Amino acid sequence: MSPMATRQWMNTHQWMVKPMHQREWIERRGIMIWIAETFTSLGAGLFLVSLFINSWWGLLIGWMIIMFIKLPIHLAYFGKPWRFYMTMPPWSNAWKTSWFARGILFSVLFGMFGFVQLVFGQPDLVRIIGSQICNPIYYTFGVIAGLNALGVGIYGGFIMNYVKGIPFWNQGLLPIVIMLAGVADGFGLIMGVALAGGDASIAWAETGSRYLLLVNVLLIVTYMISAGYSSVVAKISINELLKGPSAFMFWGGLIFLGLAVPAAISVYGLIQGIEASSVLLVIAIVAHTIGAFALKYCILKVGIYRPLLPKIAPM
Amino acid sequence: MRWGMVINLAKCTRCHACVAACRIEHFLPLGMTWPRLIAWETNVPGEELTTLPVRCNQCKEAPCVEVCPAEATIKRPDGIVYVDNAKCVGCRYCVVVCPYQNRTFFSKDKDTGFFPGYERTRFEKAGHKLYQHVAGTTEKCDFCMERIDAGMEKGLVPGKDREATPACVNTCQARALTFGDLDDPNSEVSRLIKEKNGFQLHAEYGTEPSVYYIDYKLGNNLSNVAPREEQTASHMQHLSTMEARAKEIFGKK
Repeated sequence: MSPMATRQWMNTHQWMVKPMHQREWIERRGIMIWIAETFTSLGAGLFLVSLFINSWWGLLIGWMIIMFIKLPIHLAYFGKPWRFYMTMPPWSNAWKTSWFARGILFSVLFGMFGFVQLVFGQPDLVRIIGSQICNPIYYTFGVIAGLNALGVGIYGGFIMNYVKGIPFWNQGLLPIVIMLAGVADGFGLIMGVALAGGDASIAWAETGSRYLLLVNVLLIVTYMISAGYSSVVAKISINELLKGPSAFMFWGGLIFLGLAVPAAISVYGLIQGIEASSVLLVIAIVAHTIGAFALKYCILKVGIYRPLLPKIAPM
Repeated sequence: MRWGMVINLAKCTRCHACVAACRIEHFLPLGMTWPRLIAWETNVPGEELTTLPVRCNQCKEAPCVEVCPAEATIKRPDGIVYVDNAKCVGCRYCVVVCPYQNRTFFSKDKDTGFFPGYERTRFEKAGHKLYQHVAGTTEKCDFCMERIDAGMEKGLVPGKDREATPACVNTCQARALTFGDLDDPNSEVSRLIKEKNGFQLHAEYGTEPSVYYIDYKLGNNLSNVAPREEQTASHMQHLSTMEARAKEIFGKK
């Protein structure tokens, strides 16, 4: 090293000089984004799966996760939470260009339509008013709430996908990965609803979960391979996942707990020809949920910016 | 009209005067920096230390404008992108989406005062009245738009008349910064970009930054590594009273 370099007569700083991690959405208060995004997947996924199998309890829990956990945490992260209304029409028309604004709009519409759907699907109320009145409202609002739940589940992927400076996020597959991971989480949680005596079938949830896990494994592998081809900085992100600081969360949280354990329990049930025991199902649900947290952590943590000048980066 | 800046990398002496001028002009809190001077070292002989002055690129196709959910980031007809702190919700999407990382979220813990634990100075108190920084919102360089607007009202020309020119450009002792209208083919900035093959940072993103860089040695090459001797000589030229002393200290080694 040259005398000039060793003398350190000026403290140099490495801001965007080398590939640099995004920190706003994962460190300090940014942890709230990680938690909120995970509950977004869990809530939207559970709602969509419940809509498909017509489980009122599943719909209710999914709706509550979005409205009482995801949204408050997201808003608490804002520097000015009480201004959140300014992100929606008529105060702002940003939904035309911003996935963030669209996401907030999806969440609010989901909350409104989902509430009406839940009210008119409530079994006691249906008995009192009559299914002839309740059912048309329940299904109409269910379709609208479902479309908004789809928006809630996918918008986080588009938000990250838009960031051109972070090549690992700037991949076309990201919204699909996030959406389908959310649906898989929904299958995991619906097993919990079924176990608790709710209106869902464990066998059906297990079958759905099995296929979704397989699809997710293929998607994650495809995503990582294609991201690795796209940019050297994206390859650094992948290396961090495979053998770097985030490897524990990737291998332990996402691959082992999020994918391998639920898959093993599901395959065990398939081979035995019977439903897995309650204990195994609880383990699968917990592992699935930890996997959901691990997936979001991994994506957010290895978001690395390209340096300002390519020549100075180790490329 | 589209305001832009040209930064001559070979002239920059890493004196940080632009950073200081901006802090004074906008009464920036301690934890807030609008323009930055990034520096790095290499082991290449003769090219050990290199600097790169950066500030908001005032992109023509600014991602921060598109993503802001509250429409708090606004692009003016003259190309300047600014943040309306009365609208910003502090979601920090703009901070994340900026590929140049030239935005800063002003959190309460950055508002410590110039002397944390002590009463704010008169300068700070005056600054708070003149230029409000709202904790919980995002901030960035706005090309001193208030100077430009006030100057133009008086019939002055930004980039030529000091009163209508950004503070960092005025203060640059090496004249490494040039400001002017990019849409005017006869302006100084347009001429420099054309003659010296000005380049933008990450032009491939399609953001069309209004800040260009020139380097008389390397032209259009994206590497701007300027030889240390050039920078040191330029630095010493402007600190001529220190030259003998600097030679005495550094010359021996």
